[in-house]
Amino acid sequence: MMPELLDVRNLSVRFPVGRKGTGWGQTSYLTAVDDISFTVRKGETLAIVGESGSGKTTAALAIAQLVAGETSGEVVLDGQDIMPAGRDQLRAMRRKVQVIFQDPYSSLNPRKRAEEIVREPLDNLTNKPAREKREIVDRLFQAVGLRPEQKRLFPHQFSGGQRQRIGIARALSTQPEVIICDEPVSALDVAVQAQILNLLRRLQSEFGLTYIFISHDLGVVQHMCDSVAVMYMGKIVEHADRLALFNNPQHPYTAALLSAVPSIDPTLRDHSKRILIPGDPPDPLNLPAGCRFVSRCPVAQLHCRELVPELTGNGTEHLTACHLVDADLVSPMQAVREAE
Amino acid sequence: MEPLLKVENLRIELKTRAGVAPVIDDLSFELGQGESISFVGESGCGKSMTALAIMGLLPEGIGRVASGRILFGGEDLTAASDRRLRDIRGNEISMIFQEPMTSLNPVYTVGEQIAEVLRAHQGLGQRAAWTMAAELLDAVRIPNPGRRIDDYPFQMSGGQRQRVMIAIALACKPKILIADEPTTALDVTVQAQIFDLLRDLRAQTGTSIIMITHDMGAVAEMAERMIVMYAGRKVEEGPVADVIAHARHPYTHGLISCVPHIVANLTEEREELTEVPGIVPGLGEFGQDMCLFSARCPRVTEKCRSARPPEAMLGGSQVSACWHAEEV
Amino acid sequence: MSDETLHIPVEKARSPLAEAWEMFRQNHLAMVGLAILILIVLGAIFGPLIYPTDPYEMVWAPFSPPGQEGFLLGTDYLGRDILSQLLNGARVTLIIGLAAAFVTVAIGITVGALAGFYGGAIEEALMRFTEFFQVLPTLLFSMVIVSLFGASLPMITFAIGVVSWTAVARITRAEFLRIREMDYVMASRASGAPGMRLMFTVILPNSLPPIIVQSALMVGSAILFEAGLSFLGLTDPNIVSWGQIIGSNRQYILEAGYTVTIPGLAIFVTVLAISLVGDGLNDALNPKLRKR
Repeated sequence: MMPELLDVRNLSVRFPVGRKGTGWGQTSYLTAVDDISFTVRKGETLAIVGESGSGKTTAALAIAQLVAGETSGEVVLDGQDIMPAGRDQLRAMRRKVQVIFQDPYSSLNPRKRAEEIVREPLDNLTNKPAREKREIVDRLFQAVGLRPEQKRLFPHQFSGGQRQRIGIARALSTQPEVIICDEPVSALDVAVQAQILNLLRRLQSEFGLTYIFISHDLGVVQHMCDSVAVMYMGKIVEHADRLALFNNPQHPYTAALLSAVPSIDPTLRDHSKRILIPGDPPDPLNLPAGCRFVSRCPVAQLHCRELVPELTGNGTEHLTACHLVDADLVSPMQAVREAE
Repeated sequence: MEPLLKVENLRIELKTRAGVAPVIDDLSFELGQGESISFVGESGCGKSMTALAIMGLLPEGIGRVASGRILFGGEDLTAASDRRLRDIRGNEISMIFQEPMTSLNPVYTVGEQIAEVLRAHQGLGQRAAWTMAAELLDAVRIPNPGRRIDDYPFQMSGGQRQRVMIAIALACKPKILIADEPTTALDVTVQAQIFDLLRDLRAQTGTSIIMITHDMGAVAEMAERMIVMYAGRKVEEGPVADVIAHARHPYTHGLISCVPHIVANLTEEREELTEVPGIVPGLGEFGQDMCLFSARCPRVTEKCRSARPPEAMLGGSQVSACWHAEEV
Repeated sequence: MSDETLHIPVEKARSPLAEAWEMFRQNHLAMVGLAILILIVLGAIFGPLIYPTDPYEMVWAPFSPPGQEGFLLGTDYLGRDILSQLLNGARVTLIIGLAAAFVTVAIGITVGALAGFYGGAIEEALMRFTEFFQVLPTLLFSMVIVSLFGASLPMITFAIGVVSWTAVARITRAEFLRIREMDYVMASRASGAPGMRLMFTVILPNSLPPIIVQSALMVGSAILFEAGLSFLGLTDPNIVSWGQIIGSNRQYILEAGYTVTIPGLAIFVTVLAISLVGDGLNDALNPKLRKR
């Protein structure tokens, strides 16, 4: 097993929100990411999964220090805490951590040529001579499947998939150690998604890249990841390896999420009971006291309302934040099955 | 039995800067009473345009029905007056859209918006409309409808707004409900709720549903029959189970196998996804006498580039417009 | 490796500006406006050279109507050649228009960009400052400036600029607020672009389209403003501008209407041409109207 490359400890992000309802001088905070910890092994992909408002994107962008809110916690990359940042440290961190953005239509500067966009990190973060930068850009264009004569074109002259290739080339240019892929295919047409997903996997095995892959699409995650962290309302509720999580989900939310994905496989549709979780996620400014999933959980117990469950694995690598896992009662999944 | 909706050789032309392009090119299909069908394809293939044509809502001055008929209960909608179309839109055919935030008017409460529809189209009085609106909110499973009826759209979540849209669409007990990517903007757990709701409502009211989507999984969950569109043309049609099990058009096949699906028992093995290379052609290339998919097709031959493939019936229920349909 | 670009023919690089020009060229009204504007500018530059009659000299009897005695547009109340005045006045009028628009845009962009980029207390302060200028009655305020500091050309330009920059500031701020949230700005940050670089090389160029349109229209309104001030006599009597021709002849409007009408028409046509060009720019630069 590969060594851990990235170790995120107790990461929290909170945003000050409007003064409405509070007195003068008081600020209330929306905690988008609440004390989460996870690790990523070198050359592997950690997927962070969750629905909108779960904090998955905020958590990932906080690692790259791209969120406006107040961030706390430690991000250890290759043994070094990259969180405290003076100017030079920030530059060094940006070289090592790059981002592929969700929307290829808005993440490329419309006034720059494709080659300038790909070169931008090199210009800002390295002191390489112009010729070397040109060679790097040429190689990257080839690696992501763009033709050399397209270097001079502007973003609006490319299709969505091609734009995302430019975005990928940009993220690769400084040879980063970690690439954060923020829903890299969700804005693309289905047929184009496959092209980009295959490209990402090919580049990963070619260059030994480490990805943090943000997505709400469990099918895509299942295909891309080596391990998964499931987030709900700012907390990680389950963190496990790919097979363990998809074949044997422990947390009721993970199970519900999996069962909600529409499937073309008739046997899967007939044999897996859909776990419908009612209602909507709670108001992030007014979270339940205990487990945050309690208001929608099909098997919630009384003490779930009071005690915040810890993310623990009881000695295994399969971490779950649910009281019912380690209680002697029943496993949550069993409870779910029985409830049906 | 005469189908509820019958579209015959429909051709819709769209004016663009480069000239006139057929966004819908010789499309025929039928929708039975209480049936649920799905239009599938990538964006820019004419799925939404079909829906807008049925609703009589083609962008004015830009799009027009060039030929063909849309028969609804025997009446040709392409020849109907604006007034008649408005009447049909309110009472017989309803539509819900992808983005439920922008489809609701932000300055009125949801109750007012539902009641307005009931008053305008069913001639209900103020009080009756209000009571009915609360019942509809209950029918679309909004908890505590008596209280939520006074909410403004911004006070609701995306899923609840889509429920309100469904309530408005169902207010007049339409015979057909057109759902244009109804859950694309929603989370999967909410999507599951909405699908569940639509299925139940269909069973209760017998409303036919036309769902437009790009998600094969959603089609499999929701529809009985599906029509795959490519570049303004129908490339395949058939019962959902048959098409998914054995697609007869390379594009359909590509659409199904390019998506990583959740499987029952995941293994260590991971195959490369099948790619459909390239992208949907631009409007300028629509309407040529050739297979428009040929540029992206793994089975392309000279014939594909020289003539448009006819729609051929295969195995009794599936229709495929491919010169090589037998081999697929 | 599959290549989704396979069948796309080789394209030539077309910058957004080149695209905008393409759009602009297809707009007939805007092209007419542009043509008129070019004629006027050419007239201002070369007119006095081709037609060297001194605009300040009495050349014939006062009030001789257009077309007579070889004076195409007639003479004014002092017997000065109106055509010559018009050609010479065009220079001054256009220079004031451009210079005032430049002052407007310079102040407006600076204030708006700082407010939009930094936000928070800086934004609050700058926007209150902007509002202060916005509520001042513009004509009155500029009259005060001109009468206090003298009716020299630079002072008139400055007075017009100082009272009209608020619109540009607000537009700039709004655009900055919008562009600041775009993913490509975050992408630039992820690529290590420092703050100043972000503001000037990423956000500003992308905010320019509506500012350019506004500035073009500003030239027109500055010309009108100058005419207004001149009409009220707040102008340098030794320099001939279109507004000044109207102002000095206004007492004779009933006897010799043409002395006022002709420069008035010149102003009207120029401002109209600028508006047409401004509209054309708006359509060409506004991506929402752009079709594929």
